[in-house]
Amino acid sequence: MKKNLIRWSSIPEFLAEIQNYNKIVGIAEIARRYFAMNAFDGVLTTIGVLAGNYLAGVRDLSIPIRTGIATSIAMGISGLWGAYLTETAERERELLELEKVSLIDQSDTSIGRASRFAVIVVSIVDGLAPALGAMIVLIPLFLDSLIRNPVLSYVLSGGTALLSLFGLGLFLGKVSEKNLIGYGVKTLLAGIVAIAINFLLGAE
Amino acid sequence: MDMGNLRRIVLDVLKPLEPNIVDLVRKISTLRGVEGVNITIYEIDHHVENAKITVEGNELSYQELSDLIVENGGAIHSIDEVAAGKSIIEEVATHQDRA
Repeated sequence: MKKNLIRWSSIPEFLAEIQNYNKIVGIAEIARRYFAMNAFDGVLTTIGVLAGNYLAGVRDLSIPIRTGIATSIAMGISGLWGAYLTETAERERELLELEKVSLIDQSDTSIGRASRFAVIVVSIVDGLAPALGAMIVLIPLFLDSLIRNPVLSYVLSGGTALLSLFGLGLFLGKVSEKNLIGYGVKTLLAGIVAIAINFLLGAE
Repeated sequence: MDMGNLRRIVLDVLKPLEPNIVDLVRKISTLRGVEGVNITIYEIDHHVENAKITVEGNELSYQELSDLIVENGGAIHSIDEVAAGKSIIEEVATHQDRA
């Protein structure tokens, strides 16, 4: 039997099917978790790349831009691959457990399709989140021709990174439905700690 | 060929907890000929639950009903009661049924 992922003939039907899948296997929740975790990773890693370049005396911004992009690509691939493999393994195991108790082949039911769909969505989110986080932090470096001051670009990038971390904290606060600012401060603190340690170790 | 007018089907189904019975009952109610559906859970396990699904209507299609249940991950354990014809006949008490 053909194991098609989604069966629909119109956009509302497609959306209804996705909503149905989300209800069955809770895609939104896990995608949210992966997004926050990996965007956080992306921003902090880029802080590291920038701090390293700055402390090494690199003032030609094309270098941190290339390093940053290369790092974000690697993080994106790592997220995509990692999430795809772990999610596939976990979902297959869950489906197998369900098949054991229900005594029927679940692979072509709405549950099987929801499960496969979840793997794809989660992998994409997991791949895009760190790359997105990294790219946002790099924006001030791209605007070098406008800013015309490499050190200021570094500072602005650092500021953007801290702002993104705070934003990510607010997002988590919204997920928890309480203490928005508390979460914002906690994620912001991670960025400050990363920058501080880099500067302490890198100071001559 | 006249297939006879199926009016009531009562099934014993083992189904996963999701999709839940609210979603399932709505889906069944949209099937051709269905006038009403009732799903009652009588046992809950870790991943699955046992449901008694009662469907009444006119010109019901057992095939469509069973396809929908299987599509939603359920397994039909038994067909516990059926009624067909111009009207629904309830089970009649006989001497054997006396307690």
